[in-house]
Amino acid sequence: MVMRTIWFVAQISFFGLVVSRLVVPELKGVYFQYYVSGIIIMMLYSTSVFIGYDIFEEAEHGVFEYLLSLPVSRRELVLGRSIGGGIRSFIFVGPLIVIALAIVGVANPISFIIALSALFFFALGVSGMSITIAVALKSGDRFDILMGVLDALIIRLSTVMYPQIFIQNASQLYAAVARFNPVTLASDLFRWGVGIERYLTVTPLVAVVGLVGFFFAFTFVGVTIYEKRLEGGGWQ
Amino acid sequence: MAIIRTVDLTKRFKELTAVDHLNLSVEDGEVFGLLGPNGAGKTTTVLMLATVIKPSDGTAVVGEFDIRKNPDDVRQLIGICFQEPKLLWVSTPWDVLNWHAKVCGLTKQERKKRVKLVLEDVDMWDHRRKNVHGLSGGMRKRVEIAKILIQRPRIAFIDEPTAQIDVIGKHKIWNMIRELRDEGSTIILATNELYEADILSDRVAIMHHGKLLICDTPKTLKDSIPGGDIVEIRLEDEAAQTLVTELRNFPEVADVVETTTKNLRIYLNRVEEVVPQIMKLFLSNNLPIASINMAEPSLDDVFVHYTGLTIEEAQQKVH
Repeated sequence: MVMRTIWFVAQISFFGLVVSRLVVPELKGVYFQYYVSGIIIMMLYSTSVFIGYDIFEEAEHGVFEYLLSLPVSRRELVLGRSIGGGIRSFIFVGPLIVIALAIVGVANPISFIIALSALFFFALGVSGMSITIAVALKSGDRFDILMGVLDALIIRLSTVMYPQIFIQNASQLYAAVARFNPVTLASDLFRWGVGIERYLTVTPLVAVVGLVGFFFAFTFVGVTIYEKRLEGGGWQ
Repeated sequence: MAIIRTVDLTKRFKELTAVDHLNLSVEDGEVFGLLGPNGAGKTTTVLMLATVIKPSDGTAVVGEFDIRKNPDDVRQLIGICFQEPKLLWVSTPWDVLNWHAKVCGLTKQERKKRVKLVLEDVDMWDHRRKNVHGLSGGMRKRVEIAKILIQRPRIAFIDEPTAQIDVIGKHKIWNMIRELRDEGSTIILATNELYEADILSDRVAIMHHGKLLICDTPKTLKDSIPGGDIVEIRLEDEAAQTLVTELRNFPEVADVVETTTKNLRIYLNRVEEVVPQIMKLFLSNNLPIASINMAEPSLDDVFVHYTGLTIEEAQQKVH
């Protein structure tokens, strides 16, 4: 938590401030706020991924078998883990959101509350995705590598750090991927919530629907994988 | 009435067949011992019956539910005490048990009451606020057992309950298992401790290499060894050959060995029924007995009889 807070502060205090002076004229004056909002989503993504690492720790200590023997359905178990992971990442990122709001401001509190609610589904979806990948791979090393690769791609092929229009200028393919990237939807929604509406990729409604869909998809996939991979033969 | 019935229950892990076409039934309310060396397939059987892992072949009915078709319903009936204590991410015995009770659906009031009661029962009340990772092996095991005592499931699976526990601790745990049975739980006790299986189980199933070798009451299993009981009789005078022949004519007697002219070693079954008859025979022949010594076979002898190995040898082969 301390490390990530320092990382966040360093990113906005050094990198964000310097890069906002390098950008093209049309982004001057807005890029810093744009970047700070994006960094919040990056933090939310990376803290939601933590739950996958917890799975390996639980497997190592044999807690997994205990959880699978409890009088709860697999669906409840995966949902419980996703919600737990999502809430935890929100608790981690909460103070950083406050810092971001102090920098960016909030134009419309209702929009912000709507955006924040939808971001909760984003955190749950990422937690579900992380659980799904962890359980599917059953290997801490492979999980670590894949999450590193995924993080590199999913963050960079999104509007976390740059608007969609500039991605499109670089590559149509990149733009196509970024448009459907849940990180893009979450970034856009957060920016809409705080009142940065200039470079939205999709409408807020589409972003909300997309994030809720992302959550349901990974919860469903998570349950299926959980049953297939774990009930089929334990952890190893 | 059978509360668990397995039908060709099989589990394969790649080339290894951990459980091989297991067919057994467990009666409602009994303590059913699953006895075998490490690697016999006991834990895998328990995990399949508890729906933690799926069988490769065959199935089982637990309560009235098939483990393949209704795993969620099966889990409502069961509770497991694992071989290695599973102490979760929470830090104290109180938290571990409170969390477990919560997941098992106990109300806040019930939880508070039952967690306290059980912690006192397992002598862990004074340690309830200690970090679980700082507890001794025996204490951790008691916390694991306490989960079952709080849950009071209809069917309790208890895996190696006294492994690495001292003698006093063993007796405490055995009493807890008996109490749980008396409260109405059916208990499946997986163990490689022969004495434990003998004194606790109403019936014992012996497993070896994933297969069921035999299943019956400990007494019947011991009686099933031809000449398993040994009676040594020291006489005051020499025994006549006619008497030895008469002894050999008892249907329960497998062999009579004259170790000296005044000492007889009789290999037989159902010792408690036959000894009075033997005594009567000696008395009617006016042959005074100086001393008599009886030795019953143990489940170890049963295991040796069916596998050709002691349980220690079988375990060494696995390792």
